[in-house]
Amino acid sequence: MPAHNRIRTLFALSAATVLLLAACKGAEPQNLLVLEWSGYEAEDFWTDFKTANADAPVTFEFGISDADILAKMEAGSQADLFHFYSGWQQFYVDGGLVQEIDTSKLTNWDKVPDSFKEQGQVNGKQYFLPWDWGFSSILYNTDEVPEVTSWDALLNADYADHISMWNDGPAAVTVSSYIHGWDETTITADQLAQIEQEWIAQKPLNAFYWSGEYEDLCPAVQDGTVWVAYAWQGCYAAALYEGVPVAYADPAEGRNSWIGFYGISSKSDSYELALKFLDAKLADLTMSNVVNLFYYGAANQDVMNAIEDEVLIEAFGINDPSILENTNFTPPVTADQRSAWTEMWARVQAE
Amino acid sequence: MLGRRGTLPLLVGPPLVWLALLFVAPLILIVAFSLRPESGVVNAADPWNPSLVQYGKVLGTPAFLRLLGVSALMALGIAVAATMLAYPLAYFLAFRARTRATLFLALLLVPFAASYLLRIMAWKLVLGPAGAVNSLLSSAGLISEPLDLLLYSRGAVVITLVYVWIPFAALPILASLQRIERSQLEAAADLGAGPWTRFRRVTLPLSLPGTLAAFFMVFIPTIGEYVTPTLIGGTGGIMYGNLIQDFFGRAGNWPLGAALAMVMLILTVVGVLIALRAVDLRRVAP
Repeated sequence: MPAHNRIRTLFALSAATVLLLAACKGAEPQNLLVLEWSGYEAEDFWTDFKTANADAPVTFEFGISDADILAKMEAGSQADLFHFYSGWQQFYVDGGLVQEIDTSKLTNWDKVPDSFKEQGQVNGKQYFLPWDWGFSSILYNTDEVPEVTSWDALLNADYADHISMWNDGPAAVTVSSYIHGWDETTITADQLAQIEQEWIAQKPLNAFYWSGEYEDLCPAVQDGTVWVAYAWQGCYAAALYEGVPVAYADPAEGRNSWIGFYGISSKSDSYELALKFLDAKLADLTMSNVVNLFYYGAANQDVMNAIEDEVLIEAFGINDPSILENTNFTPPVTADQRSAWTEMWARVQAE
Repeated sequence: MLGRRGTLPLLVGPPLVWLALLFVAPLILIVAFSLRPESGVVNAADPWNPSLVQYGKVLGTPAFLRLLGVSALMALGIAVAATMLAYPLAYFLAFRARTRATLFLALLLVPFAASYLLRIMAWKLVLGPAGAVNSLLSSAGLISEPLDLLLYSRGAVVITLVYVWIPFAALPILASLQRIERSQLEAAADLGAGPWTRFRRVTLPLSLPGTLAAFFMVFIPTIGEYVTPTLIGGTGGIMYGNLIQDFFGRAGNWPLGAALAMVMLILTVVGVLIALRAVDLRRVAP
């Protein structure tokens, strides 16, 4: 090869290398870190993304509560995506911790009901992707307890030593608000003091406060230790599958309902990949796994419409057209309210 | 070969650096958080305006202080029971097991091979309504219905923690018993001391440093225990450590959790110092 050709080739190679390096520098990292709840890292719950993006590693870090997940994000977590539940949306937006989701790039977005989409909006912008949902109500053993028609079954001394309340201050305030007919977003100091006394009186009635639905509560419901419990529908379905005589109450005050959301961190430099992840989270197989393996509701309505299993139909109240009319959706509350409620619950525990 | 001056930094340096990084620095952070006035989720980068608000909340809430007292009493009972049960075990290993001592020591350490959580969950099965204890009592005709009190109670926490701590407590006692010169026991025997007198006047005083070490080794971590009460304590078995864990985890209120932790730490250190001063080891053990 003549010398001038060698020089030309060398020049071309150098230019190509520079262009390649520049392109690489501008490209998004092809990996994701997800701040999750323990258990959701199982591949069943992101299987569509795994299949379509086998070369994009996904790693997880974990939070143990909504407050813990918010604290981790506030503390500068490097997570690209985070998963939390109803009532905490505003904190992420106010803290500048989340970026808007470009839903035009989500192929499965049309499968999400508008009512769920609205729950993920703040200030008119779609910051959050609704993903899983469910009810909170009273799960009870029908052999031991007559039909439960009110949340006050949790405070009924007839079931002493066989009650299990969720170990959660805000949930305790919600239950008391339902029983008294109060608006939980406007609870006064006097009302909170009354709630505290009621839960202190209720404390000895519990076998235990449960923290993990499948770890603590479900086994105790299934072995007969617990007859009356604050529970999500997952534990109800699990007990039905085991043949345990249980029912899931439709209290006169209404059930509670909650939605799980994903948000993309404002610090994420993998936005496009994060969108692919969210889109795949809404895909049919992933969402079916949420329903069939975890007994949680799916934001993908096609999946919910396809449910044929009698236990799941019962657990989600699919045959009851009025179920949502009598359901209270978890409202947003302020940071000060949450702190006051958790401190109240700590005092209840300490008594 | 390095001189004394040369070996000292080599011996003490690495553990000091380790402690500074993993104990002192986090402790300073905890103190800093406990002095934050905010409630709820706090960003560590937010301005720090020290205040005693959180300490006011802790000291102004009788329920918190009562639970700390109850936890201290539980820890005291557990430490006494575990130490008393561990002593004969260590004594057997030191004086009676002879050539089989190593084998028995290995057996003593076998439970450590299993996960702590697994052992606690096993106790859940033992103490549960259909567990071994209830089944035994039922088949013996002593009870007609399972005893609910065995599980999800303060008693269950005490029983389980005593079990968990016995092997740990036995180790420092064993070490102190093994250090006792047999000639001292022989001298006591030559002077006419019987077995009980030899034990009371020679063995026990000489093993007291190890025995006290065992006691404190159980007492101090037990005050802040939260895993066992969570799993088998029920609402009646909640300990002070559960509150701390709740504020750091579920509630996301680190400032109040940090203040609760600091109050416990300060009171525990003061209590241990008073106890050590009351039991002057220099008088009871040479």
